[in-house]
Amino acid sequence: MSLLQSPGHALLQRLMSATTQRRDVIAMNVASQNMPGYRRRDVEFERLLVDAMDRGTPPERLMEIEPEVQIDWASEARADGNSVDAERESAMLRENRIRFELYAAILSGRSNLVRQALTSDR
Amino acid sequence: MTGIKGDPLARSFRGMRIAASALDAERSRIDVIAKNVANARTTKMPGTGLPYRREVASFRPVLGEAFNGGIDFVGIRVDEVVTDQSAFEEVYDPQHPDADARGVVLYPNVNTMQEMADLVTAVRSYEANLSVIETTERMADRALRLAE
Repeated sequence: MSLLQSPGHALLQRLMSATTQRRDVIAMNVASQNMPGYRRRDVEFERLLVDAMDRGTPPERLMEIEPEVQIDWASEARADGNSVDAERESAMLRENRIRFELYAAILSGRSNLVRQALTSDR
Repeated sequence: MTGIKGDPLARSFRGMRIAASALDAERSRIDVIAKNVANARTTKMPGTGLPYRREVASFRPVLGEAFNGGIDFVGIRVDEVVTDQSAFEEVYDPQHPDADARGVVLYPNVNTMQEMADLVTAVRSYEANLSVIETTERMADRALRLAE
């Protein structure tokens, strides 16, 4: 199996798209911070993957796991029923950016291996 | 509140999440101080007819599910806002509409100087937590640069 078609490569791409989706969800949370009754949402993907890996799911089956937008019922709401906290969303946004850059760094490391293999005859 | 549970990477962001919860708590404390300062001369509250009573916010830790399945500290939040039961200030001012038969007006038990000192403390705590977030972010960035 080639490096670019391996489950690991596809998984990294999916992780990156999940962080992109999470960025949009955080943006929606921040935009709705003054909407009464709004509950903050989050994208669950990494945890679903870890849980599946812990259960011993083979790498090909991991592709069936999709990122899920979940309503965070655990966070406490204010008096108006809204559970968005601007500071927390800001920290989540920073965390999400670092995650994205980490996945991108691993992916580009793998791509560099392929590039080196391609150019090794020169 | 969701804890540190999640993927192993979430552990790296633990400090950031704790500091973010502290930011929220300190902001609530600043709100309470603002309310005290704004009501420093409120001599009659609707309902009770008494002067405004100073309020104090108290914090408590939030415990959550740790990565290894145990219980872990995941942040702080405002526990409750209690009213300060100390005595009201008495000022002799017979012209005041809220003066009693003796000509004495009861003023709230708010000491504006103390509130200003508390405000400075709260703002400093807020800044400290903000710098925890920024430092954690910078550390992760530096770690990422190793991969380049």
